[in-house]
Amino acid sequence: MSAFYADIGKMELNPVRDPTHVTAGAAGSDPAGAVVAVDGISKSFGPLEAVRDLSFEARPGEIIGLLGPNGAGKTTAIRVLSTILPPTRGRFTLGGIPHTKPGAIRQQVGVLPESAGYPLHQTGAEFLRYYARLFGHPARTAREIAASLLSEVGLGERGSSPIATYSRGMRQRLGVARALVNAPSVIFLDEPTLGLDPAGQRQMLALIRDVAGQRGATVILSTHFLDEVDEVCSRVIILNRGEVIAEGSVADIKRRAAPRTARVHVPPEMNDEALSALKRAEGVANVGSIDAERGWLTATFDSAWLDEHGGVHINSAIRALTDADVLILSFELEGGRLSDAFLSLTGEGQQ
Amino acid sequence: MTSLTRSDSSLRSAATTPANGWLVVAQQELRDIWLSWRGPVIVFMFSLLLSLLTYLAATNKELNIIDQKDTINLVLQITLGIGVAVSLLFSADAVSGERETLETLLLTPVSRRQIAMGKLLAAVSVWPVLMLVAVPYVWALRAGPGLFANAVVAAFVVGSLLTAAFACLGMIVSTVSNSNRLSLAVSFFVFVVLLAPTRVPLSGWFGDLIVRVNPVTAGSRFLDKIIVSEHTWGQEATLLVAPILAAVIAAAAAAVLTGRLRLQGGMGG
Repeated sequence: MSAFYADIGKMELNPVRDPTHVTAGAAGSDPAGAVVAVDGISKSFGPLEAVRDLSFEARPGEIIGLLGPNGAGKTTAIRVLSTILPPTRGRFTLGGIPHTKPGAIRQQVGVLPESAGYPLHQTGAEFLRYYARLFGHPARTAREIAASLLSEVGLGERGSSPIATYSRGMRQRLGVARALVNAPSVIFLDEPTLGLDPAGQRQMLALIRDVAGQRGATVILSTHFLDEVDEVCSRVIILNRGEVIAEGSVADIKRRAAPRTARVHVPPEMNDEALSALKRAEGVANVGSIDAERGWLTATFDSAWLDEHGGVHINSAIRALTDADVLILSFELEGGRLSDAFLSLTGEGQQ
Repeated sequence: MTSLTRSDSSLRSAATTPANGWLVVAQQELRDIWLSWRGPVIVFMFSLLLSLLTYLAATNKELNIIDQKDTINLVLQITLGIGVAVSLLFSADAVSGERETLETLLLTPVSRRQIAMGKLLAAVSVWPVLMLVAVPYVWALRAGPGLFANAVVAAFVVGSLLTAAFACLGMIVSTVSNSNRLSLAVSFFVFVVLLAPTRVPLSGWFGDLIVRVNPVTAGSRFLDKIIVSEHTWGQEATLLVAPILAAVIAAAAAAVLTGRLRLQGGMGG
């Protein structure tokens, strides 16, 4: 065990255990286990309401995706929750600390801002040491924290190099290390994979999973990349024009966009038989021919395919086709991906 | 990439809101100024200028006509002007020039006022260094031990007051300005406007009023009287009123306004 860990073990001071802190309950629901409790926060810039009535709760170790088109209010929401901007209305608690105590909240949160700048002449180690000192660590401890975090984000061997020599991906990982310098219970990551190559994206997502899984930190991940949300997030909040338009588990959100339609491809000479078979199938509401000459049909079900009976209806349609000895060249369910849900909910697809 | 294994609760326990956050910021900013090209280059250029001036004063027959006290006064007035101007520009650049890194600073528990104070201290560090560089030159030109000490102390006092006033002004402009270029331009313009009357002969009651109200002309006139006319401090104490007031008012305004330091410029909470 390093001297750092030994020293840490001797310390008893814990600023975040201030008994005067209001416990998380602002959101009006059971605060037990909620490390983030946001209750109707709004942020206006003059007549422009960038965030309107945002409410949600998050538990330790959760990774919550914050989605929305450009200008939806994601970055403003993060700036309000990280106390960079005061809310115009509403309240929130982080780790039980009310938003009226921004200094104490900053001890609890780590943030990777979207447009984080770095002092290019400093080395990665100097950069992290500086921020560790700003969080109250003495110089010796700050050195050990910097070395440890650099190693944890895969920059151990580049710690003594100037940041100017870092790639975009390395800078982003350094930014995550900086966000972890105070061992936050809540981490906000604003577009952490923007501009990274696929390998860099994979490293960053693995790092995010580690942060939530091994540290038990709550991660609020703002991103444009829906695949990332699908891959690492347990829940999603979709913002549009400052308002929450959908919130729930990734599966819930997908279900909302799951359509009731399948595109079926059969040999053209079996077109009529396929139409008849599908009409007889249980749960198929409507059948049509898209391109009879090529054997493309469409079937609309009574239930969306992710709903309780949706799967049954799909199986029923496939069974009806096979029972009629119709050769199925393809059977494609339309929609049902997170991107479909996002486009459908935000109306971006229509634009 | 290694896995994350740190004991977060232990680490969080160790972290506190630093009472001396301003000192941490100041140390970093001082490193940025003095371990980069900025500070050393300014000192080097300043040394060259004073070397040239002193060499000419010591060897050039025409310049030798100028009284040694005038030469000392000239060296110290140049030191004062450059020291104040550089401190002003550094402070005007301190916030508006670092908007990209400001967000991460604002995310720390260090208060906004302490962040500004740390940056301000680093910005004014140029002044004592330039004064220190000027001392050997003044010693070389000295007209007598009494005048040397009096001149150096007077210049240091006046320079410190004016540096404090203008650095605070630069910090205020930098805090409220969205653009670094605007911040530097406005700050420098104010300095030039206040400096200009020192190059213009002012006479009569109105001229005297301008000299006494303008902290730059008042400070400059104070040095003239102490070094060249060899007046006592008591005789010219009223000339220190404007520099003292300027320093106090600018510091108070900076203390209030930098507490409202925002990610974007402008005023408000």
